[in-house]
Amino acid sequence: MTIIHNRPLDDIAETAPTLGGNAFTRAFSGGSLWRLIGMLVLILLLGFLTIYPLAMLLYGSLHSTPPGMAGEFNLNGYRSIMTTQNLIVLANTVGISLAKTIPSLTIAVFLAWIVARTDTPFRGALEVLITLPFFIPPILTAMAWGMLANPQVGVINMVWRWATGATDPLVNIYSYGGVIWHMCQYSIPFLFLFMVDAFRAMDPSLEESSRMCGASRWTTFRKITLLLMLPVLTSSFMLSFIKGIETFESALFFGLPAGIKVITTDIYESINHRATPDYQYATSLSFAIMGLMFLLVIWQWWMLRGKSFQTVTGKGFRPSVMELGPWRWVTFAICLMFFFITVVLPIGQLMLGSFFRFFGFYTYDMLTLEHYRAVFANSEFWRAVRNTMMLGLLGATATMALGAIVAYISVRTRWRGRSLIDGMAWLPWMMPGMVLGVGFLWAFAMLPGPIPIYGTVWALLLAYIALGTPVSVRVMTGAYHQLSYDLEECSRVHGASWFQTMWRIMVALAWPAFAVGWVLTFFGIMRELSASILLYSVGSETLAVVLMKLWANGNAEQVSVIGLMMMLLVIVFRWVQLSFIKSRISKL
Amino acid sequence: MASVTLENVSRMYGAVTAVDNVNLKIKSGEFVTLLGPSGCGKTTTLRMVAGLEKNTGGRISIGDNVVSDADKGYFVPSERRRLGMVFQSYAIWPHMTVFDNVAYPLRIRRRPDTEIRDRVMNALRLVEMDQYAERPSPALSGGQQQRVAIARALVFEPEVLLLDEPLSNLDARLRTQMGDDFRALQQRLKITALYVTHDQAEAMALSDRVVVMHGGRILQVGAPEEIYRRPENRQVAAFFGTPNLLNATVKDCRPNGGQYYKLSVEGQGWAGDCHAATEMPKGADVTVMVRPENLHVRNAGEVNGDLSWSGEVSQAIFRGSHRSIMVKTPAQTLHVEASSLSHVDIGRPVTVAAPVEAAWAVRN
Ligand SMILES: Nc1ncnc2c1ncn2[C@@H]1O[C@H](COP(=O)(O)OP(=O)(O)OP(=O)(O)O)[C@@H](O)[C@H]1O
Ligand SMILES: [Mg+2]
Repeated sequence: MTIIHNRPLDDIAETAPTLGGNAFTRAFSGGSLWRLIGMLVLILLLGFLTIYPLAMLLYGSLHSTPPGMAGEFNLNGYRSIMTTQNLIVLANTVGISLAKTIPSLTIAVFLAWIVARTDTPFRGALEVLITLPFFIPPILTAMAWGMLANPQVGVINMVWRWATGATDPLVNIYSYGGVIWHMCQYSIPFLFLFMVDAFRAMDPSLEESSRMCGASRWTTFRKITLLLMLPVLTSSFMLSFIKGIETFESALFFGLPAGIKVITTDIYESINHRATPDYQYATSLSFAIMGLMFLLVIWQWWMLRGKSFQTVTGKGFRPSVMELGPWRWVTFAICLMFFFITVVLPIGQLMLGSFFRFFGFYTYDMLTLEHYRAVFANSEFWRAVRNTMMLGLLGATATMALGAIVAYISVRTRWRGRSLIDGMAWLPWMMPGMVLGVGFLWAFAMLPGPIPIYGTVWALLLAYIALGTPVSVRVMTGAYHQLSYDLEECSRVHGASWFQTMWRIMVALAWPAFAVGWVLTFFGIMRELSASILLYSVGSETLAVVLMKLWANGNAEQVSVIGLMMMLLVIVFRWVQLSFIKSRISKL
Repeated sequence: MASVTLENVSRMYGAVTAVDNVNLKIKSGEFVTLLGPSGCGKTTTLRMVAGLEKNTGGRISIGDNVVSDADKGYFVPSERRRLGMVFQSYAIWPHMTVFDNVAYPLRIRRRPDTEIRDRVMNALRLVEMDQYAERPSPALSGGQQQRVAIARALVFEPEVLLLDEPLSNLDARLRTQMGDDFRALQQRLKITALYVTHDQAEAMALSDRVVVMHGGRILQVGAPEEIYRRPENRQVAAFFGTPNLLNATVKDCRPNGGQYYKLSVEGQGWAGDCHAATEMPKGADVTVMVRPENLHVRNAGEVNGDLSWSGEVSQAIFRGSHRSIMVKTPAQTLHVEASSLSHVDIGRPVTVAAPVEAAWAVRN
């Protein structure tokens, strides 16, 4: 006899449950058909934005004539880029990028440390000031510095000559130094933005325990702080280096006049400055630079593999702040000086330039408002304003919407094909604007006749969306990672469908990040020059393009007026972003 | 309120089996707890019932309706299962007020505003949170968030309430109090509840039945006292508290007239009687479990229990509510929980005794 108790399944058979629902609800219980259609549309869209121009780039590099003309396939393009001269171009590109990354990183670390970890006064305001240059279109500061440090009529050199009686200029912006100097002004705020939160979020107990073990402040900084920051520093370095290789404006304004060529300007020149544009050369070179970028990205990935950012977490403590005593006014002054050099000086120059009849002749009787009148009477200017605004609003919205969807699918679902769309959205990361521009040039020209995108603003819009997508995906990925799955699942369990959950929970919670990303993308579009200058045509100019044309005609005075206006726009937007979005986020 | 039935339910993650052939029937109005060490598949089981995870094998039904059948490829998504759930993190939506959080399930179901107001306020009153209705939800303490989460889960009278370690984020005192409150509420409203925890005390205090899981399988299902006093095997026995587990051999086995068998066992340097669930052949190796709180320390030689060991005190630790005494015997060191008033000297020879009902034998 055995006594059975606690049978695991005591009475399951007593009521046999029945299958509920009908055939229809059963077939659609996973919503798989709609999901399939949605994914397909997304893949086609991303394919058109990223794979298609890439494929056309390859096609173009093997094709002997410009887009849309009959020709033959050959390797002449690749043969023509294998020259010693191009070796120098390559060395220039890599060298300049390295030469700007190292000092930029050092200064950015120092500034981030000042703002995040010391008791320097007005740190909050300083942070806003230090990051402001990042939002100013590089073309504006490039033009301003072209006037400020012009060897003949630049204000700096005029003051120098007047003060010392020397005849030689103090600085010449048209040089290696000039290119690097201008790039640094953008790298520093960019790296600062990238790193400052990591500095702020570092758990102070990690440092404090080192102090308790008898290490001095300096030893602690070297052995703990810096090592903990190493992953962030490495990735900052790589990012800045890659960005440096993509940079166009600095080399265009200060390198070309001095005969210093980098890859992006070489591509530009071969299309825009030769008697007959050499498209095959340009596309081959574009493909070559993409190969270089690909290697760099692989290297970056390899360097950062397995490195965890977990030591730097973001919750629950205020980092200890170092008390600097009287030195805190020194650090304050350093931060302020950075702002002065990178923002106040260029703005001052633009003002100066806009009010005097001729650039370089700053005397009382030369004061005038004629340039303002000329600009406001210029219909091309107004058209460019309209285009830029339209492209900015539409482009930023579309880019962020695409990024939000792609990020959601790759982070939050397990749908088949999610890594594919994630990968496709990331592709433009490896393509400098110049290269993507060349790719789209071919892509639009090869479209069948009934789709007249080529030469319209829509061409620019598509290029901007493609360029902005990697960043928008990143921003939204970060936002989704911070929202726990529970918030979403809880809504599902309590009766909300997938769409209701998306709208009421995810959109409602992720929109601050969306807004931040939107503003970033908008600024990105405002400053975009390299793709625009290849894809614009009469009627679809952006402000940056109009500035370029005026500059090329030697009209520095009207450039100053338009530049000043753009500067104002940037500052207003940034102010709105800071005061509006920040206050909304802190409410959550 | 409805019953929940799991038949041969499994869940694989690639080659890993997180839940392995689980069979369980939860009756209407019953409070069942899933208990087990970290990673044993409790959360996965709960999430399969919720429809947040698809079972790769078996069938799940709520009430009379099948909600998921892996073989037929049938799956009802979460939102159509009519469940209430309390998450470990509470999942209080930070962009809504307390009221909006609780109203959410009703708004999704498009109920009229007056009904929403009444039912939300009722639910909030139930958890004593009605005065906080208009608070933005981030401005709540952990305990308050937990109550809001419960109110939200109850507001639309779900078929079943699912809870995943809802008390683990609270401090010890609040945990006990909230647990007792919730149990009272559950009994009053006759809610069917499936509750996940890794805290044994919580599981025993709250549940009608406890399901002990390990490695994705169910080890034992039973009332808390049943599981605590009469585990089916050594693993379950070891899971609760720190029992003394002694190896022994069966000398004799006979029915004790009631539900159980009475065994005479012999270990290294000791012998005595104990109970067991099943008949055991003579000479079988068994593990005898004696809980520390059921052992008594007596003067050496003074034997009046059914089981006794002689040894000497090796350690005594004052723990406030009781005194932990370690007694070194030829078999092994025994852990005894004695009254904190009792006084023992280290090194003193003693006899440790236990009544026959306190000793439970399981097959090795
Ligand atoms: N998405 C997943 N992919 C792969 N394995 C998983 C996944 N989710 C859970 N597992 C595995 O399934 C097993 C059971 O996990 P589950 O979360 O159910 O454990 P648990 O009992 O709730 O543990 P805890 O008490 O720590 O919450 C674990 O071994 C876990 O590693
Ligand atoms: Mg769990």
